[in-house]
Amino acid sequence: MPDPANGEAVESTKRRRLLGLLGGGAAVSLAGCSDQEPSDGSDGNDTDGEDGSDGMDGEDGEDGEDGGDSGPTYADQAQAAWERAVENPLPEDEDLRQEAYVEMEEAVRDDAVLTPLYHGFTELFWYDYVDVPLTGALGKHWQQLNTTTVEGDDTLNLINSTFDELDPIMSTDTASSIVITQIYENLTEFPNGVPEVENQLLEEYEVSEDGTTWTFTLKEDIQFHGGGTVTAQDVKYSWRRTVESANSERATFTLNQPTGLGIDVEMDDEGDPEPDSLAVEVIDDQTLEIQLVGPNPDVLSIIAYSSFAVIPEGYVDDIEGYDGEVSHDEFSTDVANGTGPFELDEFNVDEDVSVVRNDDYWGETASVEAVNWEIIEDDQAAWTYSLEQNADRFEMPTFAYEADAIDAEEDDRGRQVGTYGPAGDLEEEVNYLGVSEISTFYFGFNASNTERAARQAVAYVMNKEQIVQEVFAGRGTPAYSFLPPAIWPTGQDGYESFLEDYPYGLGESDSQGAQTVLEEAGFTSDSPTEMTLTTYESEVFQTAAELIRDLLSGTGLDLSLETSQFSTLQSRGEDGELQMYSLGWIWSWPAVPYGMFQLEPLNTNTSVMPEETNGFYLDWHTNLEEEAE
Amino acid sequence: MSRWEYFVKRLLLTVPVLFLVLSFLFVMLRMGPIDPVAAILGPQATGGDAQAIRERLGLDEPLWQQYVDFITSFLTFDFGQSWVVQAGRPIIEIVVGAAPATLWLGFWAILLPLFIGIPLGFYAGLNPNSLGDYTASFGGILWQALPNFWLSVLALATLRQTRNGGGPFGFDWYAFGPDFLSRDISITGTPDFDWFSTMDLLFFPVPYVSDWTALAIDVKLILPPALILGSASMAAELRIGRTAMLETVNANFVETARAKGLTSRVIVWKHIFRNALIPLLPVITSEAFLLIGGSVIVEQIFNINGLGRIFFQSVTQGDLPMAGALLFIFTLIILFLNILQDFLYTIIDPRVGYDQ
Repeated sequence: MPDPANGEAVESTKRRRLLGLLGGGAAVSLAGCSDQEPSDGSDGNDTDGEDGSDGMDGEDGEDGEDGGDSGPTYADQAQAAWERAVENPLPEDEDLRQEAYVEMEEAVRDDAVLTPLYHGFTELFWYDYVDVPLTGALGKHWQQLNTTTVEGDDTLNLINSTFDELDPIMSTDTASSIVITQIYENLTEFPNGVPEVENQLLEEYEVSEDGTTWTFTLKEDIQFHGGGTVTAQDVKYSWRRTVESANSERATFTLNQPTGLGIDVEMDDEGDPEPDSLAVEVIDDQTLEIQLVGPNPDVLSIIAYSSFAVIPEGYVDDIEGYDGEVSHDEFSTDVANGTGPFELDEFNVDEDVSVVRNDDYWGETASVEAVNWEIIEDDQAAWTYSLEQNADRFEMPTFAYEADAIDAEEDDRGRQVGTYGPAGDLEEEVNYLGVSEISTFYFGFNASNTERAARQAVAYVMNKEQIVQEVFAGRGTPAYSFLPPAIWPTGQDGYESFLEDYPYGLGESDSQGAQTVLEEAGFTSDSPTEMTLTTYESEVFQTAAELIRDLLSGTGLDLSLETSQFSTLQSRGEDGELQMYSLGWIWSWPAVPYGMFQLEPLNTNTSVMPEETNGFYLDWHTNLEEEAE
Repeated sequence: MSRWEYFVKRLLLTVPVLFLVLSFLFVMLRMGPIDPVAAILGPQATGGDAQAIRERLGLDEPLWQQYVDFITSFLTFDFGQSWVVQAGRPIIEIVVGAAPATLWLGFWAILLPLFIGIPLGFYAGLNPNSLGDYTASFGGILWQALPNFWLSVLALATLRQTRNGGGPFGFDWYAFGPDFLSRDISITGTPDFDWFSTMDLLFFPVPYVSDWTALAIDVKLILPPALILGSASMAAELRIGRTAMLETVNANFVETARAKGLTSRVIVWKHIFRNALIPLLPVITSEAFLLIGGSVIVEQIFNINGLGRIFFQSVTQGDLPMAGALLFIFTLIILFLNILQDFLYTIIDPRVGYDQ
């Protein structure tokens, strides 16, 4: 699809969204975690707004340092900021929300309950005979390959990781979405993974004044691979599956706010959704209407996520009222029926997947006849496969990587674009792309099990640039905030000023600062405090952990290390047993609240996790004034 | 006690072993540290989704109920569905799909050492303390000391550099035998068994080779990993073969045979060779055990979709039923091999029995 047209479409949709929402001032129920009770009235918009403009960001933090007794704690600040953000979801409050999110970041930073380490950085390499559009910060799994050309060949060959399902509502990994994106389509999309939403099957939409009723009009005459036109009924059926099917692993993306759309639904006594009660109404063949539990500024971004992909009505047998043309087992791996530029050819789980061109595609018909992915997990095997030119575009394992061989310049989206090589085994020059991704890997601290001084000492000694350099050979972006710079609420300038205020030292290890903060809290090398750092099996975190431990020796903090399996770490975190731990968060769509909700202090309460809360394992709510009593 | 009574007793002893293994598996998998729900959902787990999955997997049932279900279903080979690795697919289907590659790899990994290790060992035993003996013995020890994962990485790095005649003396592994380059085949990957067909002969399916080129490709594909996988057992066979040969050569009956005036050819092949095989038998059968363990690494590095790689995935990703089923199958194989070994012993060596 030509870019200018799409650019205009985005502009006009944005404008329409603004117009549609203007003037709406309805009461908003507290979003966030659905089970939580609102802690105060829902009509506090105006007063909260004033709070926001006071901008008592960093200064307040200084007071809080003296202890929770005098004035609001950092956790109080974060909680207040979060509530202000979710209670003002209308477009005119955009600035207020952005400030609130930055204020949360500052509270997190000053209390050091979470110390970010790095943002993911992906590098792609492709041979000269391939012409493929550059991918964006959301990752290559958003890219439809119909505009990719291969000189002298009619097949595009790639490498993928293992996955086991092609059902969009089961897909939780990037490996499966790489293939699903070629076969199925959504109402909206992020073309090539660039974080700017555009229409896909959507023609236009309208929003009610209160921002809770959205009317979508579909493009006309779009055909499924198996025949039949896409209608509003198909969309309704597909979205019903996301909540009613037992196979769905993404029901929350449909039902929750702000971690999803928040479509209204009726629950039965057991807490399962009633069949056909999802508030999606078909107006006519091209039009449907959804009813949300509250206004949601991120609707268009969320429906681009692969679980909202459209399949023909009644295709699968896993929700009530449909016998299904195919069984769910077949639908998982054997058959597919979408509207995308490619049709499923063959899927040998753990071996290879191939898709063939859809000649009747409504958009630009693919230039290659087929795309084939060899499924390889091992670095050695993948590198061999790439060198053999069996893979046309590939990633490079660190053992083969030579940073000096890159010759790249930054483009207007902050991506590194250029060439690589020849270097090492690779005997020719290849194309190069380096993109900083919307993901954050961090150390979290359980606030009730750790001293603030100890947490800050860790932040002081941690030299993120050195760690990224040592472990990834520089293939990562050192992180100083939880929110990645690409989606920083107040833009690039706001991020820069956040960095300027960063108290723990940028790109250096400040042992003196660590020692001072520990001494003030009464810990010296003679009477140290102790803390355990639990990492999952990841080279980065293990190396970082060792570095931090060594740097802390001789200060008033004894750090001991342990490694645990990923799933074990999660369940121990939910039980509130961890002190300091490592984890990561990858954004499924580029929205600030989808990420920040985990830092809302009340949502970090591990004693009711995972039933009632779904935040990080911080127990930050224990620092709230009202909770402390 | 006759040797057949001994054999039956050994057979019966496997029943409690099997139960112990099953109970151990249950405790380890169901009560161990791995939470499958967390494993399935990954870092973006939320409460509601987690509970739904917990119910779907039956983890809310009482523990004894889960135990009874577990034992009965495993004994009837009803392993249920995979949770994580290939979520929702029947495990037996996955195992049947991955087994051929492992069997193919295992077949060559046993065959190659047999035909290299044992002759070398016997040669060394017949010519003790010669230069040939030292070379073979030293080489064997060195070969055994090299770890499989290291050999695999090294072999792959060496072989992929021979592309377009880049190897020593212009050697090109890609062009050697069936040409891989022109067919766009990687030197890593899973054999596809295109050469294997069956035809009905008197209503019985009889396998035959339908495509000799495809067979050659699959053999070439499996040769490097098979050699590496068999490396440890090849060296073991060499050394035990040498010792067995030495002992038998110096035995009294060999001296008697020599005194009778038998030719040395008859003495070696009829008397020494057969007796030297007895200590080799457990080495060969226990190789299968080594192969199961070793194939995990070799299959991973050579990207072969076999049982070893699936086992590796299921253990690291917390796929409890899958890992349990594979462990159970491995146990069955090892029990079966032990029985086979006892059976062969009772046939080869009449002295075997409980009393004596």
